[in-house]
Amino acid sequence: MGHGGHEIGSHKVAHFFGFAFNMDTLYMTWMVMAIVIVLAILAVRRLETVPRGMQNAFEMAIEAIGGQVDATIGPNSRKVAPLLITLFVFLLTSNWLGLVPGFTSPTNDLNTTLGLALMIIGFVHVLGVGHHGLSHFKHFIQPHPLFLPINIIEEIARPITLSFRLFGNIMAGEILIILIAALPLYYGEPLVGVLWLGFSVIVGLIQAFIFTMLSTSYLSNSLKEEHH
Amino acid sequence: MVELNATLIAQIINFLLLAYILKKFVFGKVLQAMSDRQARIAGSIESADRERAAAEELKREYQEQLAQARTQAQTIVEKATKLAEQAKDDIIKEARAEHARLMKEAQEEIARERERAVAELRNEVVSLSIAAAGKIIGQNLDANANAKLVSDFINNLDGQKIGGVQ
Repeated sequence: MGHGGHEIGSHKVAHFFGFAFNMDTLYMTWMVMAIVIVLAILAVRRLETVPRGMQNAFEMAIEAIGGQVDATIGPNSRKVAPLLITLFVFLLTSNWLGLVPGFTSPTNDLNTTLGLALMIIGFVHVLGVGHHGLSHFKHFIQPHPLFLPINIIEEIARPITLSFRLFGNIMAGEILIILIAALPLYYGEPLVGVLWLGFSVIVGLIQAFIFTMLSTSYLSNSLKEEHH
Repeated sequence: MVELNATLIAQIINFLLLAYILKKFVFGKVLQAMSDRQARIAGSIESADRERAAAEELKREYQEQLAQARTQAQTIVEKATKLAEQAKDDIIKEARAEHARLMKEAQEEIARERERAVAELRNEVVSLSIAAAGKIIGQNLDANANAKLVSDFINNLDGQKIGGVQ
């Protein structure tokens, strides 16, 4: 991409032990982690019976996501609820961080979204085998062995769709923010920019929620009592 | 623009680290606080239910007692009314009897007085008649014989002329 200013989609790559790392994505991720941890610790520093402020917001997130997870997965939801709640909080903070001038979303890097999606799929199979043994893999030949190719494609499609949906939305949102700022609009520009920022806030929330809920639904098959 | 590299693995590790930290230091506390609150709210609701049930029981008792008291009051009033009626009847009957007795006594008294008055008058008339007759005929008759004479005469008079004494 271009030189100077904001470079969309290009990353500062550093090499350690022969591996390439996108340092800007990692910095932003650590920032997100720091924000989440600081807010969470602030929220629970003085837990009160009648919640206020941060505690209230945090409990709302936990209850909203935890309730969905409970409803989708059922009695075994306690095993994965912390993971999924963390996923939601992490994604939400990541998506919104990119809306702050000078910062970018860790989720505008496919490495982040695909990594998380593959991690979820990995959990699906690890938990499935842990819960149902090898019969977990039976769902590849259901309802009939002829469905094996379709089921394999579905299995591959899951992480790809999961990661590209989030990546695409956040990436496009950030590109548009920069493009609107660069547009030669004399009167409408602040209005359009503000409108798009507001829209991006909602997009960030919705995409974080969608990613979390789809992960929940993938995980639910591995944890349900009767396995298909 | 879309390059996959070791960042992918790093991001998984980052995320798992975050999940571990949150699970260890945050979720346990928050979930504990939430379940504590839930228990407390459930306890409050339960005790409120209990207190309301007790209050309703008390109210029911009071209403019962009130109804009982009302019935008793009515009974008392009815009894008192009946007694008063009775007393009134008795008093009236007594008064009537008294009235009748007094009337009778008064009539008897009147009759007696009249009889005495008539007897006195008769004696007076006899004496006067004899005195008058003695003066008129100029001779003194035997007093007893005269009295007998005049008395007979008066008795033969029409009773009505001296007030109808029976």
